[in-house]
Amino acid sequence: MTQPNRWLFVLVAMLASCPVWAHKSSDSFIYLDQRTPGATTLRVDMALRDLALVVALDRNGDQQVSGAELRQARSAITRYFGQGIQLASAGGSCHLNGLAWGLSHHSDGPYAAARYAIDCPNGEPASSLTYTLLFDVDPQHRGLVQQRTAQGEQLAVVGPDQPTLTLTQSQPSLLSTFAAYLQQGIIHLLLGYDHILFLLVLVLPSSLPRPSSTEAQGERRLGRRLLELTGIVTSFTLAHSVTLALSALNVIRPPSALIETLIALSIAVTAINVFWPVLGRRHWRLAFGFGLIHGFGFASVLADLTSGTSQKVLALAGFNSGVEIGQLMVLGVIFPLLYWLGNRPLYQRAAVPLMALAVTLISLYWVLQRAPGIWA
Amino acid sequence: MTRTTSRPTTICSELPGRLHQLLLCRGLMTLVPALRGRFFAGALLLATAPMTHAAIAPIQTGFADDEILVTLPKLPTPSSITDVSQRTVDELADEIQQDIADARGQGDPRFLGYAERLLDALPDERMTDRLRVLKATWLQSLHRFDDARAELETVLNNPDAQRRNRIQALLTLANQEAVQGHYDKAAAACDRLMATYSGLIAQSAVALVQARTGHADTAYQSLQRALEGQPRTGPVARAWVEGTLGDLAAQLGLPAAEQHWRKTLQLDPTDLYSRAAYVDWLIQRQRYSEALALTKGYEKVDPLAVARTIALTAAGLPEARAMTDRMNERFREARWRGNLLHKRDYARYLLDIAGDPEEALVWARKNWVTQREPLDTRLLLRAALAAGDQDTLQATRDWLAGHHQQDARYPERQP
Repeated sequence: MTQPNRWLFVLVAMLASCPVWAHKSSDSFIYLDQRTPGATTLRVDMALRDLALVVALDRNGDQQVSGAELRQARSAITRYFGQGIQLASAGGSCHLNGLAWGLSHHSDGPYAAARYAIDCPNGEPASSLTYTLLFDVDPQHRGLVQQRTAQGEQLAVVGPDQPTLTLTQSQPSLLSTFAAYLQQGIIHLLLGYDHILFLLVLVLPSSLPRPSSTEAQGERRLGRRLLELTGIVTSFTLAHSVTLALSALNVIRPPSALIETLIALSIAVTAINVFWPVLGRRHWRLAFGFGLIHGFGFASVLADLTSGTSQKVLALAGFNSGVEIGQLMVLGVIFPLLYWLGNRPLYQRAAVPLMALAVTLISLYWVLQRAPGIWA
Repeated sequence: MTRTTSRPTTICSELPGRLHQLLLCRGLMTLVPALRGRFFAGALLLATAPMTHAAIAPIQTGFADDEILVTLPKLPTPSSITDVSQRTVDELADEIQQDIADARGQGDPRFLGYAERLLDALPDERMTDRLRVLKATWLQSLHRFDDARAELETVLNNPDAQRRNRIQALLTLANQEAVQGHYDKAAAACDRLMATYSGLIAQSAVALVQARTGHADTAYQSLQRALEGQPRTGPVARAWVEGTLGDLAAQLGLPAAEQHWRKTLQLDPTDLYSRAAYVDWLIQRQRYSEALALTKGYEKVDPLAVARTIALTAAGLPEARAMTDRMNERFREARWRGNLLHKRDYARYLLDIAGDPEEALVWARKNWVTQREPLDTRLLLRAALAAGDQDTLQATRDWLAGHHQQDARYPERQP
């Protein structure tokens, strides 16, 4: 057997020893969070194994990186990150301000991680991201980018051939803004137990036959009930629309803990009013008065959603319409049910008082829970 | 020679359809901004559903100063990156060869990136035959088989090529053609190899092609005789031939396969190919504890990690769950990166761990486009059986019949 040359055998061994049936490839993870307008954050995770190529991590040369060695390399790592990651908006490059720094883990081991607040010229959203770290050392390195916006999540990859990623703009169209806030309004009303309970105790009396009533015909009675219900709903809507608008447009902004407590109190009072009509039987007045308070409650939620949104009026219109739709959906279910039960003695004598009592207790409990916040 | 393989790094755009980010529900008063685009009833249901997407790992700051975070392999120094033009082609070839060897021996694709950096920096006029063969090997590792073939043809068409470069080019070419199932071309390359460099290595290549084309029995016996006839064979060539014998014995369904693989791994523990084939063979015989012993410490190498997860699960061991989670995360990241290099491993994971035969078949088929070794074919047949895809079963069996290829490892052998 001829022995041509030693390096041939090395190569034969290479053929023999298989595929690069690898571990995970060299990837950095880049998380861009643009869900909150005006508060974009960026996080970069790079494997220590990769960083060791470009930053002196292993100071004592023992082929290991200790916690202390990583801490000592912190400024070198952040300097390195800073020179290979750029975000830009139409007005120019954005600043990266460090928020957090430390260690993280991915499927193949430890990574150095840094999170930054992004500050772009004129407060615009970032429109592009450029990542060039490590490509000069390892052309197979990639940056795996996750971009999160209010609309959802997108994944992308940056590499040496295409280091710049055009970011999808998070500024939505007018229609989609309106639709988004409309949905938020519906969801808020449906998930906000206290508004539903308030509506329940508000319409409870109109499901009961009046003692003084002389009506005999079911149809006429239903017509009157519906009229009464419409009056209640309209005055509640008018009232909370007024305060929601005043508050959303920054005309009046009462502290939210106070409003939350008053909302709970309003439910309790309305529930008590079912047995003892201390505030009278003109429920539309009650609905209007307390509606003013509930409007401030909606406003504090809306304010959380729209910070930094330029389309405030549109958001307000959408959100308010959503609240109305949610309200009608709830009444569409509750009222026919209550009306159907209305003539049954068991309902009149037991169910209504029990419901009113339960709502009173729950809302008083909320009052106790929320009141301390006023002074906090 | 069945042993090239490594994975393409094309960036494709198959991004996993991720679940919309979900809610942090601080009580019912809290809003759910992420729910835009969903119907409210869905919102109510989802508000109570568990988080199903992968959460981003937190940033930890409380690690101890004396904690060892990671052990590093020997890495290229940053200074060696910049001075490519100052170094001789032989020095560069040595370094590229070392990078490829490290990539294969450690199963770490990062070394392929370091080799690429050097290859990229070499202008055409500095390319030598030796560098072209190395580049072809590197291209094979990335599954760029056509580009690899072109580099090898360039060397083989050069009338002034040195003998050792021709030999290496023929061996690399024969290897690739056999892996891809181009047995005529592989046989032609083997004939040329025998003419230039007859010996155990060439005989081993010839035996493999014979075995895949209907003469497994003869091939096994003649290769075994050839090895016995050359007692002074060095350990590298011996490990190589024993590995081939193990493969042929497994194809024939002979228990001797085990002995051959044991010898291979004794001589060369870094032969990940033989290790994976042996582990697969053990799992097929439900010898899970031995499969676990062979994969211990190789959790980072994909095919061995997938096999280990299967063995842990089948043996009902408590670590199975954590290992499965890790595999889920690893393949999720690989899908994100887009270069599903490990198509075979991913298909196997889908079939045997994730329990998704339809998707497994998709990937097993994609893998089979470029790689047709018995383990690739076996997986394709198993996935097609599990998914009930008669067309794929028939097409694969027709292909096998066309080459008279039989293998004891295939499910439901040809009638």
